[in-house]
Amino acid sequence: MSLKRITKELNDLGRDPPTSCSAGPVGDDLYHWQASIMGPPDSPYAGGVFFLSIHFPTDYPFKPPKISFTTKIYHPNINANGNICLDILKDQWSPALTISKVLLSICSLLTDANPDDPLVPEIAHIYKTDRAKYEATAKEWTKKYAV
Amino acid sequence: MSRLPKLSEQIQDVSDPRDFLRTKLPELVDLDTLLRCHICKGFIKTPVLTPCGHTFCSLCIREYLNRELKCPLCLAELRESMLRSEFLVNEIIASYVGLRSKLLEIARSGPDGTVPHSDTSLIEIAPGDEGAHELSGDDDLQIIETRRNRPAKRNAEIVLMPSKKSRRDSEKPGISSMISKSKSPALPEDSAECPICQKHFPLEYLQRTHLDECLTMGSLGAAAKPTSPPKIGKASNETTVSVQPAAERISEPSVSANTTHSNRYLESGQKQGVARLAKLNFSSMSMQQLKSKLTSLKLSTIGSRQQLINRYNHYEMLWNSNFMDSIEPLEEKELRRRLASWEATHNSSEGTLRKGNISKLLNKNSTTRIKDFKTDRFDRKGWILAHQQEFNELLEEARHNLAKANKMKYSASNQDEVEDAEQAESHPNSISCEKGEIPSNQLVVKTEEISTSSQGTTGV
Repeated sequence: MSLKRITKELNDLGRDPPTSCSAGPVGDDLYHWQASIMGPPDSPYAGGVFFLSIHFPTDYPFKPPKISFTTKIYHPNINANGNICLDILKDQWSPALTISKVLLSICSLLTDANPDDPLVPEIAHIYKTDRAKYEATAKEWTKKYAV
Repeated sequence: MSRLPKLSEQIQDVSDPRDFLRTKLPELVDLDTLLRCHICKGFIKTPVLTPCGHTFCSLCIREYLNRELKCPLCLAELRESMLRSEFLVNEIIASYVGLRSKLLEIARSGPDGTVPHSDTSLIEIAPGDEGAHELSGDDDLQIIETRRNRPAKRNAEIVLMPSKKSRRDSEKPGISSMISKSKSPALPEDSAECPICQKHFPLEYLQRTHLDECLTMGSLGAAAKPTSPPKIGKASNETTVSVQPAAERISEPSVSANTTHSNRYLESGQKQGVARLAKLNFSSMSMQQLKSKLTSLKLSTIGSRQQLINRYNHYEMLWNSNFMDSIEPLEEKELRRRLASWEATHNSSEGTLRKGNISKLLNKNSTTRIKDFKTDRFDRKGWILAHQQEFNELLEEARHNLAKANKMKYSASNQDEVEDAEQAESHPNSISCEKGEIPSNQLVVKTEEISTSSQGTTGV
């Protein structure tokens, strides 16, 4: 089941790639993918390219895929290990979701962070109190690690 | 992407709604999409309806409901007992799946309308209509013309339509007599075979009108052919033929009972005598009780407690899906066989085999690294080094996509693209030239330590 479904998604991505992200398997292993996301133009991450690792569980799509950033990023919902705090990757996962939809959600998380449910409280605090500082740091990190 | 050929072959085999995208019937993309399950992405097998109005494969949704009690599409509360089977949808999908490849073939046939079919003797019938023939040079006009001429062409259709598949054997004589009657020369590129009823019609008519009509009756058409007797002889006398078909069409289903999807639907109903298997509360059950329960279902009692529980749970799912939802339930023996094949991959000696399964699929190099994925020990540096090329390819791909999107959005501001292109050029170079240096877009800070350790892992 999982392999078939993953193959279908891969096929899907090949035929209709979402704008500003791409994803595909690592070598010949369909359970391990890597993806890239272009920093959204209307965010401090603009101009950066962020890489992610995707790991499908064997009972995918009943369980969500494990997705994490491998590129360092300054964001209230993404920690230093690259772990992402996103509801659809946890309790709000639905088997009707696809990698393509998840990547788009991550893109919109980059544009609109969710400081009320932070993974990195310090960044969330700065985000809420000193937005300019947050944006400056995020831009700096993007330039440093993602360009 | 540097995928091995095996993988890309695998991908090409996948049937996708977008197969119809660049054909003459792009509207079928929508239909094809609608008939697929949102969990497995394949055509829905044994569809069941939720109270919230969504349809999934019986097994897919049951398996999901073992973990979460909500609809995958709208997240409304959902329990297994709320599921209702949908025999009609089942037959619609079975019928569609049966004729999909033919539809695709027709839809893909050349722009002049020639169907990749060797059966040219039959194709000649439709242009027997003089009006269509006169205007055959002009495509646009012809569409209108074909339609306008439908009444005039009725003779031909009457002979063809009623016969449906039942007259298949005697079809050729009938058609050839028609051809001899119509004096106009035939235009093969003008007509095509309907994938459903096997009749030949002018292509435009086939696409615009007939296919829709035929699709709605498609379930009748696909399966009845072989069994129904050739009732009508030569179509020499058109009046008799035109009367006969109406009666024939009515009587036809009973002739070919059990074979057509519509008949299967008509005869479907609640199966009596087989009870739903209950969910068990294992925590209050002793091992002995569990074993006797399995024995009563003729299931194996070998294995750990957890394995027995898994075995019962999976069998319960198979059983209820089969006896509660399926239009044609399988025998218990077959269910046990399916359970055994599931156990072979999912339920032997707990998690160890599961892991084994994955690692079999992984190439040796990445296994070691993947083990620590998502933990702090995960060797990001090694990972990035090992897959640098793929990353770079992804980078190119993403930039390319973005550039394309930008071009469309703001065709005026070219500057971003130029910048992007420059970055794309400079970035891979910096990585490949200086081996010791870490590419800037990485999480790992301690260079040498990790790169040596990563080499260690790569070597393993």
